[in-house]
Amino acid sequence: MNVSVCRDDGSYAAGCQLKAGWRISRVELEELQSVEISVLWHTEGKGDEDLGVHHFQRYDRSDLERLPLNDRHEIQCVLPASPLSYQGHLMQIHWKIRVRVFLADGREIVAEQPFYLVTHQPELNQELITDPVPLEQRHDAPQRKSLAAKLPSVISRLRGRRSRS
Amino acid sequence: MRGILGELAFYLGLILLGVFVLALVIVSSAMMSRIGIDLPEEARRVLESNLTQGGGRWGRWVVAVVSVASIASGVFGLGYRLLHLGFSQERLSASRKRAIDETRSLAGRDSAAEESSQSFEPEFDPQEFPELPTVPRRQGMNESPGERLRFRLASISTGRMSVFGSAALALGWNCLCLVLLAVVVSGWWYDMPRPILAVLMVPFSCVAVWSLRVFLKQVRQVAGVGATVVEISDHPLQPGGQYELFVSQMGKMHLKWLKIELVCEEESFFRQGTDVRSDHHVALRQELLKEKTVRVDPRGPWEQQLSFELPENVMHSFAATNNVVRWRLLVSGESRPWPSFCRSFPLLVHPPLMSPPDSPR
Repeated sequence: MNVSVCRDDGSYAAGCQLKAGWRISRVELEELQSVEISVLWHTEGKGDEDLGVHHFQRYDRSDLERLPLNDRHEIQCVLPASPLSYQGHLMQIHWKIRVRVFLADGREIVAEQPFYLVTHQPELNQELITDPVPLEQRHDAPQRKSLAAKLPSVISRLRGRRSRS
Repeated sequence: MRGILGELAFYLGLILLGVFVLALVIVSSAMMSRIGIDLPEEARRVLESNLTQGGGRWGRWVVAVVSVASIASGVFGLGYRLLHLGFSQERLSASRKRAIDETRSLAGRDSAAEESSQSFEPEFDPQEFPELPTVPRRQGMNESPGERLRFRLASISTGRMSVFGSAALALGWNCLCLVLLAVVVSGWWYDMPRPILAVLMVPFSCVAVWSLRVFLKQVRQVAGVGATVVEISDHPLQPGGQYELFVSQMGKMHLKWLKIELVCEEESFFRQGTDVRSDHHVALRQELLKEKTVRVDPRGPWEQQLSFELPENVMHSFAATNNVVRWRLLVSGESRPWPSFCRSFPLLVHPPLMSPPDSPR
């Protein structure tokens, strides 16, 4: 079972669109009963846990029969404005994509992919209006870095080559 | 201050008088007949006369009903006065207005809500400023339009519940003492002296006086320190934002120091066995102002206007069932002859760029 998000750093701005994918492999359809996909936040720390589900989708047996299981399936939702991810002293707020698989024999398998919900930045406004690009095209694509960001690593690589030669 | 104390003394007096009279009525009507004392003829005549009976058969019970009414009105008046102790006029009127609005909305009248939304909270586009799950609602903040700056913050004064506690203790103990006193007096009157109870009345009265003194001290602590007014240029706040703050301390005091702090607190609730416990942690404490030797006069309250910046990368206000992140402004001071005081003004911090552009004006 595999869950992955479309941004390498796993950081999403509040109010922007989350695109992620999930895939179940090496499991026969007969072994599956249902699959639940949820995008949620929960607290961790000294206090009892609080949990809020932002997006929820359930695939029953009949739905699963129509899905090609080995393919990547898309999760798409607009993230809320709050609560933002938080690392405090008494409590932490974590955001996760959780895939819960219910097997026919009664067992449950859970896979989680954490991500960060961060402050909405004005320069990230374009993420709010995302074109309907298929997930496969966007998924795990290497992030484009600016030349200024790449420059230190390029210089160090060049220096390394010179010292070797 | 004297007016408040006088009012409280009046309500306390009503309650105590009512208890005393009621105790006398109960003792004389219900208990004396069961004791079976062989009273002298003269005493019996006096007791059975119309004057003693209160002008008729039901006279005694009229007195009892009046004393119950006196107790009830005293308890109601005392409770209402204690509930609003230290409240500013603005806060009282704001709470009254909210109560009226709620009543009207319950009755299905939308006109009041429309009126208030026009004057206090202009409409905003929910698409542009989306909902903020787990961020406390602004309506609960009790803010009102300010005089110097846009918003006047409502305060949560600490120590109010302890006033209620000491009031209950003082009231309960004094009532008990008066009932016992009524029994002792009746005993002397009917030639059935109760010397042990009379002796016990001395320590009981001492405790009663002590509880009254504690109650009055706490009333002075809450009401004696004058009102604190805090106004802010914008609300809710946003991380990284610049804000103007106006603080005014009224009353008549000589403060050793006065401090204004911005505090962010984490609070967690957890179950331990069958108990629910809580833990606090101050995540951020920023001292905005500390002034030593402050003199506050009724004619010239201490006033200060300052600006501050809410740090970037701080957590917004958060409220879930078991975990809370809350922001507040603390105005505290050490004063003479009053005890130290600390007043808390809750703030709402939104995630950045999510605040609706509204104004109370």
